[in-house]
Amino acid sequence: MDVPVQQVIRPTTVAEALAVLAGRPDSRPIAGGTDLMVQLRDGRKRVSCVVDLGGLGLAGIRQIDGGVEIGASTRMDSIAADDGVRRHFPALAAAAGTVGAWPIQCRATLGGNLANASPAADTAPALLVAEALLTVVSAAGTRRLSVVDFFLGPGRSALAPGELLVSVFLPLVQIPPDCRLVERFVKTGPRLEQVISVVSLAGRAAVRTDGALESVRLALGSVAPTPVRAQRAETVVTGRRPDPVARREAVQALQHDIAPIDDVRAPARYRRIAAAVLLDRFLQEAARV
Amino acid sequence: MSERVVVNLKLNGARRTFEVAPGRRLLDLLREDAGLTGTKEGCSAGECGACVVLLDGAPVTSCLVLAASADGHEVVTVEGLQQSGSLHPFQEALVTHGGVQCGFCTPGLAVTGAAALARSPGDAEERARLLAGNLCRCTGYVKVLEALERASSEEADHDTRRERAHFEEAPGHDPLGGHHERPDARAKVSGSTRYVADLAVPGMLHAAVAVAPVASACVVGLSLATARAIDGVEAVITAADLPGKNLVGVIFEDQPLLALERVRMVGERLALVAARSPESAWAAAHLVHADLEPLPAVHDPIQALAPDAPRVHDAGNLIRTFRVVRGHTACARASVVVEAEYRVGGQEHAYLEPQGCLAIPEGRQHITIVASCQCPFYVQQAVARVLGLSLAAVRVEQAPTGGGFGGKEDYPSELAACAAVLAFATDRPVRFVLPRELDMQVSSKRHAMVIRHRWGADRNGHLRFAEVETVLDAGAYIGISTVVAERANVSSIGPYHVPAVRVTTRVAYTNNLFGGAFRGFGAPQVTWAAEATMDRLARACALDPLEFRRRNLLDDRRRRTCTGQSVRRPVLARECLDRAAALAGWDEFHARTRHQDGPAREGMGIGLVLYGCNLHHGGQHLDRSSAVVILQSDGSVVVRVGLTEMGQGNLAACQTIAAQALGVDPAQVQVWQPDTTTVADSGPTVASRGAHASGMAILNAVERLRKRIDPLAAELLGCDERDVLLAGGFASARGDPDRRVPIARLAGEMASRRIEGISTGWYRSTERRFDAATGVGDPYEFYAIACHVAQVTVDAELGLVRVVEVSAAHDVGRVIHRDVLEGQIQGGVVQGIGWGTSEELKLDRGRLANPSFTDYIIPTSADVPRIRIAVVESEGPGGPFGAKGIGEPSLIPTAAAVRNAVVDALGIEIDRLPITPPAIVAALSDRHPFAWVAEEEKAHGRTEEPAAGR
Ligand SMILES: Cc1cc2nc3c(=O)[nH]c(=O)nc-3n(C[C@H](O)[C@H](O)[C@H](O)COP(=O)(O)OP(=O)(O)OC[C@H]3O[C@@H](n4cnc5c(N)ncnc54)[C@H](O)[C@@H]3O)c2cc1C
Ligand code: FES
Ligand code: FES
Repeated sequence: MDVPVQQVIRPTTVAEALAVLAGRPDSRPIAGGTDLMVQLRDGRKRVSCVVDLGGLGLAGIRQIDGGVEIGASTRMDSIAADDGVRRHFPALAAAAGTVGAWPIQCRATLGGNLANASPAADTAPALLVAEALLTVVSAAGTRRLSVVDFFLGPGRSALAPGELLVSVFLPLVQIPPDCRLVERFVKTGPRLEQVISVVSLAGRAAVRTDGALESVRLALGSVAPTPVRAQRAETVVTGRRPDPVARREAVQALQHDIAPIDDVRAPARYRRIAAAVLLDRFLQEAARV
Repeated sequence: MSERVVVNLKLNGARRTFEVAPGRRLLDLLREDAGLTGTKEGCSAGECGACVVLLDGAPVTSCLVLAASADGHEVVTVEGLQQSGSLHPFQEALVTHGGVQCGFCTPGLAVTGAAALARSPGDAEERARLLAGNLCRCTGYVKVLEALERASSEEADHDTRRERAHFEEAPGHDPLGGHHERPDARAKVSGSTRYVADLAVPGMLHAAVAVAPVASACVVGLSLATARAIDGVEAVITAADLPGKNLVGVIFEDQPLLALERVRMVGERLALVAARSPESAWAAAHLVHADLEPLPAVHDPIQALAPDAPRVHDAGNLIRTFRVVRGHTACARASVVVEAEYRVGGQEHAYLEPQGCLAIPEGRQHITIVASCQCPFYVQQAVARVLGLSLAAVRVEQAPTGGGFGGKEDYPSELAACAAVLAFATDRPVRFVLPRELDMQVSSKRHAMVIRHRWGADRNGHLRFAEVETVLDAGAYIGISTVVAERANVSSIGPYHVPAVRVTTRVAYTNNLFGGAFRGFGAPQVTWAAEATMDRLARACALDPLEFRRRNLLDDRRRRTCTGQSVRRPVLARECLDRAAALAGWDEFHARTRHQDGPAREGMGIGLVLYGCNLHHGGQHLDRSSAVVILQSDGSVVVRVGLTEMGQGNLAACQTIAAQALGVDPAQVQVWQPDTTTVADSGPTVASRGAHASGMAILNAVERLRKRIDPLAAELLGCDERDVLLAGGFASARGDPDRRVPIARLAGEMASRRIEGISTGWYRSTERRFDAATGVGDPYEFYAIACHVAQVTVDAELGLVRVVEVSAAHDVGRVIHRDVLEGQIQGGVVQGIGWGTSEELKLDRGRLANPSFTDYIIPTSADVPRIRIAVVESEGPGGPFGAKGIGEPSLIPTAAAVRNAVVDALGIEIDRLPITPPAIVAALSDRHPFAWVAEEEKAHGRTEEPAAGR
């Protein structure tokens, strides 16, 4: 069955796309369509005109000064397979490799994952720990914002109507002297593959030779109205060795970073416990590696 | 009217241009505009993979791609996988490895697999991951993964993970027990099999249905005007417009086709629409406005039986009570008694092909229905009733059916009745295909049951008595719930010798979705409970669960079942238990110290089933079947039967049986899908009776045909008529194998002499005695026994169950077709794992809250355990050549074995199914190392907004 849209516009330049988006409040961009098509079909989104971003050349991964820039239309399969991403941002590579299943990864884009602003968006925790910077353009110009400020609520992001996310910049990690870096993404759900996260966690820790955590960043998905940084938990463990006491305190602090609810996928209690488990495991691993 | 967009594609190598609506999906462009119906639609939401095509070489779900976005790109569909007329190596491997069953998932799978091969598909784990977006409900993925492995390298990395069961080669290459290519496999793998949604006839309209969103209400009024005003709508009809009876119940007349004044469940039909496009039809259906006044509802079957519960039907909520009373349980002496209450959840069939049918009216006198269904004769009866026609005026052809598992036993009658009344109302052909979420929301489900046990054993670990009280949640209409309850009732204590038995099985109306047939038919639930209690008792008696079972299993001396029936010898329970335990390495597992890798816990568990083959005594009147065999003048053979192929392999089984009986090569035998005008009513294709009932009728037809073949052969061979043998494509004289004529020549001779080359065959089961009041007697003709041993690893913190291995031993009588048999076992095991661990019907006031493949979690290729199979053959009672049914025994014990393995791993009892991660964490309660964190929740306010979503 056709989806209820009246018009498809396929611009070939960003300027053209922005002009359409600015001129037509009933329009909306479409990238891989793996979120939008589902929402159009079931009536969750009503849009009369879609602007296909496929012709804008927004896909691609570039190493640039001080980091890696990923175009908004880059597909999950490319991100998961990219050597640079795998080396410098293993959490993001892992996250991209768990979005849906392979045929979804061959369509789903990074920009779409973010702009859709699901609390379960798998790349979000990885970008949060990377403190990624997003480049957003509109007819009015270009702005950059931190991913930390991007998610506002389920399905709500800082993108204003008429704005396009064009790229995501991941700053290279400055590994403190005498430290090694541990970065992980894990998600849990009722089956191994093709599963929406019931809880996801990305963690990045710089571990000193004495085993203490020089710095830690933690972010979780599906445990709050948006993907969240777990700053209380981070504060608790920073500078300490993740021994059982520290881990327990971190898990306790984590409970104040998150606010899960009961929904069709899992009860809040399970989410709290699973989040605790994922955090505890990440910290254990950081201590071990 | 919106503008049209031009889409240029390189489609399967050719440049093509299409002009389509802006909202056209690539999937519809391919199927409707390009006529390439090989690409299937299973979910419309990116979740099932049936629609996968290659877009610039990458596999994508074409249901989520706008046709316009594909403009200028290259698309390859399943039709384009073939090169110079031969199948792609993966397609070929799927055919030769038995990786095709219903075939609905197969084209998408073939495309994804081809893409995987193109990029070097990696090791077994990686291959399973690459295919995880292509759901298959039939095969359990084992043979699919084997096929991918085979196709992926010449020096296949002998991956012993998924080893095949080994059989002795059948002597003399008889078709029986062989693994020749399934007759339906090639067409399915190449995308040329036409399912209902692939059929279009000129002038065809599309049906849609308006359903109730609430579980209990009074219909105050329906406004249809806005729906009728939608462009393209040809008819909107309600209960008042039906030509015949407003009834669809299979056995009881409690269910209307269209609601009159009362809504009793979510999904109750209010009005039907026929329109020129599916878009208009569904748009109109959504605009049917129902003025509903809410009424009290009941959603728990136990509460429904309380005297003050809201009544679902006027006569009260207790539909029926079944009993088995044998011996005196009250007086039975037992030194160990256990009691438990089990809450066993239902299951969605999740066949990959949604329900669908096509109704083609001829005047208002006849109608042809082409339906995806298990029971064309049920469909025929339902359509005749709502149209007020004779049975003879209704012709039902079974379309190739993309999985059933019981879900296409009764529901297709309802769908066909809808399409038929619309077809008569408009005098146009009407196709009705349910969208996935509606299919899940409104179709029947495996029954949820509450099962209470009180069982006792003596000091030596011998069962003394068993008391079982079961309540089935029938939902708002009976459907075939009483028949399910009848089987559950007599299957309540498994293959064990119990001197005193008291079983009560009650069937209750609720305002939930209605329960129906599902692989195992009530037996899986009671088996799950029985096997849980067996483990409890073993622990209470301080006995190994294997040893405890050995002491209590039926055998050639103690043969009395729950109902006191004597199982015919040989009774192979012990054999199955021992073979499965040996395959699983039960003793070794228990001798070694278990790996305790952090939170990972290992466990092993047993499940056994005593499966009554074919229909219960209560359905004996339906237990007959019809066949037609035609010997063509070239020696090829046409077979028609009344039982259906839905993926389980009935065509292959019938082909094998006919080939064996006529001594011809299986490739010479063409078995056609059932059509009610070619054979007599053969009852439903359920209860694992397909191969049995159709096979017996075929054998009877062949026997009759041979009354004409043999005299002619004797004449040509110059031997006595009684000495004619048919085998290996020749008729020969007994004792003189060199004196022979090809059967093809014989057939030609028959034709030229105008000897009748057609014969009918008939089968009916033998009469049995059974006392319904006490439940004592012979409910079934004969029994099959199976034992599964599951080995699991449980993440005791996240609650994740990983089934590592299932060892399955099956008493099958005789193997008819190896790949089909193995495929049934593998598919049943994986479906059983899904039911046991992840498939949860989440009901919110009677509404299914998770009607999608994203939230109703069936196993993917990544969840498949190693499956070891032991086939126990015997000369005993059975059907054609001694074969017993396999379709259901393959599923029934798995979830029980998994449950016992999880309990073994964790050391806690779990009395609810499914055993999901949250269920395990809840069951661990304070024992969970992080149980304390949940307390933190109380210190924190909840947000109103949903925390998850996609
Ligand atoms: C079966 C299935 C399984 C899935 N599993 C997962 C999973 O496991 N994990 C997960 O995180 N997600 C999952 N998803 C969701 C989805 O695939 C991802 O969110 C994906 O990354 C969305 O990208 P897209 O390009 O397809 O987005 P689209 O659907 O094209 O767009 C999504 C939204 O973003 C907007 N948008 C897209 N690009 C831009 C841009 N550049 N600038 C501004 N707005 C933009 C669109 O207007 C739309 O509102 C799944 C989806 C399906 C169908
Ligand atoms: S129909 Fe497209 S994935 Fe199911
Ligand atoms: S063969 Fe895969 S769904 Fe039936």
